[in-house]
Parts: sequence; C-alpha cells; structure tokens
Amino acid sequence: MAVPKDMNVPAIKVAKVPPSGERDDHANPRSAIAMFLLPALLVYAAFTALPVARTLYNSTHLVVPNRPPEWVGFTHYIELWTDTIFWKAVWNTLTWAAVAPILEVSVATLLALALYAKVPFSRFLRVAWFTPVLMSYVVVGILWMWIYNYDWGALNTMLRAVGLGDWASPWLGHPDTALPSLIAVTTWMWTGFNMVVILAAMSSLPTEVLEAAELDNCGWFGKLWFVILPLIRPTLLNLVVLSFIGKMKIFDLVWVTTQGNPLWATETVSTYVYKRAFQWSTFDLGYPSTIAVIWFFIVMAGVLGLTLLFRQREKLEY
Amino acid sequence: MNGTRISPNGLRMAALLLFIAIYTAYAAGPFVWVAMMSLRTTTEIAADPYALPWPLHFDKFVSAWTDSNYDAYFFNSVGIVLTAVVILTVIGGMAAHCFARYRFRFKGLIYFIIFSTIIFPPQVTVIGLFQIMVDYGLYNSRIGLVLVYVSIQLPITIYILESFFARIPGDLFDAARIDGYSEWEIFWKISLPVALPAISTTVILNTILLWNEFLYAVVLITDDDKRTLPLGVLRFMGDQLEDVGMIATGLMIAIVPVVLIYVFFSERLIQGMTAGAVK
Repeated sequence: MAVPKDMNVPAIKVAKVPPSGERDDHANPRSAIAMFLLPALLVYAAFTALPVARTLYNSTHLVVPNRPPEWVGFTHYIELWTDTIFWKAVWNTLTWAAVAPILEVSVATLLALALYAKVPFSRFLRVAWFTPVLMSYVVVGILWMWIYNYDWGALNTMLRAVGLGDWASPWLGHPDTALPSLIAVTTWMWTGFNMVVILAAMSSLPTEVLEAAELDNCGWFGKLWFVILPLIRPTLLNLVVLSFIGKMKIFDLVWVTTQGNPLWATETVSTYVYKRAFQWSTFDLGYPSTIAVIWFFIVMAGVLGLTLLFRQREKLEY
Repeated sequence: MNGTRISPNGLRMAALLLFIAIYTAYAAGPFVWVAMMSLRTTTEIAADPYALPWPLHFDKFVSAWTDSNYDAYFFNSVGIVLTAVVILTVIGGMAAHCFARYRFRFKGLIYFIIFSTIIFPPQVTVIGLFQIMVDYGLYNSRIGLVLVYVSIQLPITIYILESFFARIPGDLFDAARIDGYSEWEIFWKISLPVALPAISTTVILNTILLWNEFLYAVVLITDDDKRTLPLGVLRFMGDQLEDVGMIATGLMIAIVPVVLIYVFFSERLIQGMTAGAVK
C-alpha cells in the first residue's frame, strides 16, 4: 500500500516551522530524513500496511486457490451474523478479556504491596514471580496440560492429598472448567509482570505524601485506599488496557492446549480465524478475513471505550 | 498489654507471608516440577510424578538433542531471532533517531500510524501476510520469517528508542556538526553509542519475544528443517506423545536459554518488558 510513501513525500519539502532561524534547512536535511526513515517505512508498508489492505480486500471476496478472487459483496458479513461458532468464540474471548485484566491487576497490586512493605527476600520473589511471562506459550501450554491432567496432574494430586478428591476433574476436558482453567494460566503468566510495573510506580511515589498521611494518623488501609491507589491509578488503568489488548489476541495458548475444544468451550476469535483460513478444507480466505476485519473494529472499539471510560472517571473525580 | 499489641501485627505478618508463600509456589512450582521431570525417565515419572530426580539422567538432554531434529530447530531459532534483532536495531534505531532529531511535516502522523499497530489484533495481518508471502516467494522461507519478525517488533522498538534518543542533549549533535560529521556519522558515532542502555533493552526484549513467537511461524513455515523452536517443541510433543520424561527434557532445552538471558540481564530485561506499560 502506498500510504506511508505518500506520507513521506511532503517530508521532503521544507519543514513547517523553522527551528533555528535561517539554518533550518541545515538542521533538518531532507535527504538525511528520507534515508533514516525509508527502511522502516518500507518494512512497514510491505509487511504491515499491505497485509491489512489485502485482508480488507479479501473480506468482500471469495478467495480460493488457483482462481482469481471473486467479488461477493457483503455476503461474508451476512453469513457471519448467523455463525454460532463465531459468536461463541466472541463470547469466550470477551469473557477472557474482561476477567483476566481484573484478576491480574488486583492480585498484582496485592503482591506489589507485599514487596513494598519490604518483606524478606523481596528481590528473589520479584524475580521468581516475573519468570512465567518470559516463557513461550508452547512451553507454558504443555506444562499446564500436565498440571491439569486428570490422573497424575499436580492440581488433582493436591486436591486428593488434602481430601478433596471429589473435586478432581479433567480440567481442560470439561466444557464448564476449560475456559476458567486457561484464564488461570494467563493470570499465572502475567500477574508477575503487572506486579513489577505497579511496584515501580509505587516506588516512585513522593515520600512526603506518604509521610503526611502517616502524620495524619492514617491507618495502613487508609493509606493504601486514599493515598497509594489514587496516585498509581494511571498505571493500573494502563495495565488493564494492555492486558485487555493481549487477551483479545490470544491464540498460542489455546492452540497448544485445547484447540478450542471441548465443544467450542475455549474457541477464541484467533483460533477460529486460523481454523477457517488454514485448517478447514473450505479453502476460502475471504470469510476468515471478514472475521478478522470485524474483530479489528471490535478491538478498536474496546480500547477506545476503555480509554474514554477511564478519562470520564478521572474528570468526575477531580 | 504488650502481647495484645504484638499479636494482631504478628497475625497480619503471618497472613502476608502465607499469601506470599502460596503465590510463590504457584508462580515457580511448575518450573521446578518440569526441571525435575526433565532429569528423570518416563518409567520413573510414571511410578511417582513428584519424586526427586535421582539418579540424574543428564543423558536425556543428549538424546533429545540428537535423536530428533532438535538441533536444527534450535539453530533455526538462533539464526532467525538474531538476524531479525540486528535488522530491527539498525532500522528501528534509524527511524527513532529521525523522529527524535529532526522536524519534518507529518512527523506526528507517521509516528502515530506506526505506533498504532501495537494494538492491532494479529488476525488482521496474518491472512493477508500469508498471501503476500506466497506472492513474494517468501512463504516457507527463513528470510521471509525474519522480515515479518522485523515488522511486528518495529513499532515497540522505535517507541523505546525514540524516547531515549529524545533525551540526548542537542548540544552534542551541534558540536558534532561543527566538527564536520555527516548526519549518518552522527547517528552511528553519537546516537547509537550514547543510547547503548536503551539499545540493549530493546535487543533483549526483542530476543525474548521473538524466541517465543508462535503464530506467524506456524502460519509461514511448513518444512520440518525450517521450523523454529516453539514449532519444534510442539512437533516433538506430537511425536513423543506418551513419553512425558522426554517432552520435559525438550521443554527444558527451550527454557534454558531464556533463563540464562534472564539470570545475566534480569534488570534490563524487566525494564524492557515493562517499558511499554509505564507512560
């Protein structure tokens, strides 16, 4: 797609605001700007902008191998409306994207408070809690399939050991428990990451404010609720949005563990797009592209909605 | 009097420590378990999945490495990730330098367009990318995967480097200009060396993220001898299905490089991973 290149053309003209008197041309040489920017823009155009344009184009065409794409108008979009598996996948992904950020950020805040209170071994704990996020979803998926194994998995073994053997279940094999089990895995992965960010925000709080709260005889809960949390709110909201975006994309973990089974209980939009594009023998790339386009707008709306919501609350409070 | 004042505090401390202990077991337990299993044979694991690894079967690592295609997967991953990271650092650094140093028209817009792709769901690129790679003749090729990896990590790389470059004092560049440095030399001899901390942050971040990347690899690579490690691990699991001990060894081979990077660069790594989250 030519958009980024077009953007670059005006850049070659004279800069809008002369930065330092008559020497502006010297300080902002067009050839250097073009040289520095061009490789990145080319990569962006070829491997990001062009694929997005192609997906948009696909979404109104029937795209079958060895035949030119055939214009079908909005047929795919209409078909999507009655595709129950798609809506199931949307529901699952939205559940994931709604539950996981709350779980991650709240547990992470508690953990960060624990380290902020200077418990022993805090350096070691920080490193240990952060580790899961560094692992590939493939490794994590296989590992947790074992943990959730009915016969010898760690979870059932522990339940049996404490006398709750009745609760033992094939966690990933039952439609009611499969999605919550996978949400527990992403929480395991990302909580430590959130904790580190929150701890950094807490550590940079001005000490005078905290000391003032102590002088006012503020209890530790009051200090937390009225001083610390409001001050780190922007960080918390940022993390919620970031986690939301991540969960709306989720593919790897589901693909390695359940592939959407049982009974579509863990199907996400990503896995459904992948199945329709590369696995089912429908050979049509148009329909999955339509899903991708619709999903793109839902994600955008979600991010925009969250941002506006958080802004709104901020205005109301201050 | 004294006792009643201490005990609520003590109780609170005990509850805190219990919470921390439980969470630590949840966070680290799975790794300890897979590390133990990686040194035990499947028969031993079948007898008791949670026993300590004794005797240690280090030879399992040798057989996992040699008997399947593991060495190929490993070196594919190393080659693809390192090449992508080098290109990313140079291209991303150049673009970041440009955004931080020069004024030009539509700068804000171009920056916004590049940066906004961070929130794109990958589905919206992956199908079109698949078709385009087939057209370019880059489908099922390691070079193709490298280029895709460069494109997906480019926005965050530019973002981290730009914020660092912008903080380098402009006097340094004026002095270099007076000394007759060309713009290109200024980038290589001043921006890059001064920004070394930020560059190492992006290098480590990109290395870890691409080392773990799965979706684009599974879509774009089909030949067994071109597979990266995450695909290899999955393939390995398919082959060994019931051989839990062997799969655990395979998992450890994928985990160890990441853990090594983490041990040596933990601060910088944490900095890189969290750079996008704190604004």
